[in-house]
Amino acid sequence: MDLFLQLLFTGIGIGAVYALVALGFVLIFRATNVVNFAQGEFSMVAAYLMVYFAVDLGWPYWLSFLLALAGMALLGVIFNLGVYYPLRHRSYLPVIIATIGASILLANSVLAIYGPQPQVLPGWFETPGIQLGPVYLDSQYLLIIGVTILLVIFNFWFFEKTLLGKKLQATSQDKEMASLLGISVSTMIMITFIYSAVLGGLAGLLVAPVLFVSIQMGSTIALKAFAATIIGGFGDVTGAIIGGLALGVIETFGAAYISVPYKDGFAFLVLIAFLIFRPQGIFGERVAEKA
Amino acid sequence: MPLLEIRNLVVRYGEIEALRGVTIAVEQGQVVTLLGANGAGKSTTLRAISGLAKPASGDIIFDGHSIAGLGPEAIVRLGISHVPEGRRVFPGLTVKENIMLGASNRKVSASQISREADAMFDLFPDIRAFSGALGWTLSGGQLQMVAVARGLMAKPRLLLLDEPSLGLAPVIVQAVFRIISQIRKDTTVLLVEQNARMGLSVADHGFVLETGRIVLGGRPDELWGNEAIAAAYLGGHAKSHA
Repeated sequence: MDLFLQLLFTGIGIGAVYALVALGFVLIFRATNVVNFAQGEFSMVAAYLMVYFAVDLGWPYWLSFLLALAGMALLGVIFNLGVYYPLRHRSYLPVIIATIGASILLANSVLAIYGPQPQVLPGWFETPGIQLGPVYLDSQYLLIIGVTILLVIFNFWFFEKTLLGKKLQATSQDKEMASLLGISVSTMIMITFIYSAVLGGLAGLLVAPVLFVSIQMGSTIALKAFAATIIGGFGDVTGAIIGGLALGVIETFGAAYISVPYKDGFAFLVLIAFLIFRPQGIFGERVAEKA
Repeated sequence: MPLLEIRNLVVRYGEIEALRGVTIAVEQGQVVTLLGANGAGKSTTLRAISGLAKPASGDIIFDGHSIAGLGPEAIVRLGISHVPEGRRVFPGLTVKENIMLGASNRKVSASQISREADAMFDLFPDIRAFSGALGWTLSGGQLQMVAVARGLMAKPRLLLLDEPSLGLAPVIVQAVFRIISQIRKDTTVLLVEQNARMGLSVADHGFVLETGRIVLGGRPDELWGNEAIAAAYLGGHAKSHA
């Protein structure tokens, strides 16, 4: 039972990271109908920005954190203008290829600067964790879970309670109609890219002290997050969060009780099972039912 | 000076010439109905006015200024509101949210927009009970009411209505046209209809489009009087009205 609770805590912690990246996937997909294959690289770039500010320059942790997030917002702007905007009137395929290209560019730019050697980023807190009864709560995992809860609440408030959130939803549902109402579609898509880049970046900043900061960290997280979006129901915000958490818990339990070397395999086994038996995901509707 | 004047408008979709020199005028305070068969260019005319389709040549003059080539976001800010074919109600937003977004062309506070949307239900009492229902759950008639209410939230000087009767039961069509005759007290309306009988019943002036050209224009009684037109577009019951 103690091990169970311990694993559950860790699983939710890592699952929260997948959930944040999955949320970024879903928001961009809903706004542009395109899967952004550079979403994982947003996490990786943010972690390296953090290494640069906090380790290389030795600036305070909180300042480095804010600067890294500001850098991600800027990257969201550049990404929108450089990758999506020129191709916005084309079909989804050129845009998807452009996001793959951008992800290769980002990964190799960082590689050229930092080399293949993984970097180490310390956690936010001095104390490694606290013992709560039988469960040891790692402070970084506590931070990850706390930030994710706050973000989910913020996300709900922003999209459900504000007029700007409604305009973003309207744009993702019918761009032409949104423009007829006077909603600036290009501004809404810009906001979506900034928000998604910051979300992905935040995931990277939170998980970096738990993993190593490496060029590959983006693609590993992105693959799991992508699986999470399919498990949750593609395009569904709640589904992305639930899917991410579920995946984190499943792979943690699988690693502990079945096999450690196959840890990454469990995520994809679950993904394959969903694709066969419930391709619309937990929260997704069958497309035919939407008509 | 007419509120809206279209001169020799040509619109192409690739190789296809959808409009081949359309000229119409809409006077302030009028309801003008565009009639014509499927593919005659009725919707394209509205799409060109609201900026969704770019004119290849010709001009569109609204309130004395050319708006040809402007984007839809700019045109709705000038006071032209387009309720497009198919209603296009946002399926994942509630009725009230859909209606509120109709005011996106104006700079007003969210609470003011919310009050105006509530007041809009006085004109559309049938959808008041569905204020919190999501768009995709509504029937065709309800969707049409939401679409028109949303279009009116822009406080337009000119309202473009594309086929409001399409796919609706006769009793609902009558309800929609009762609303149009209410709207006309404050707003100029350019109406596109296949249902010529209903379309002309509220109109001050009608135009008939045929393969991208205006072939006839006049007061409703003049159009009813034209036998060829009555037979082709007005349902073949010309004799009962002659």
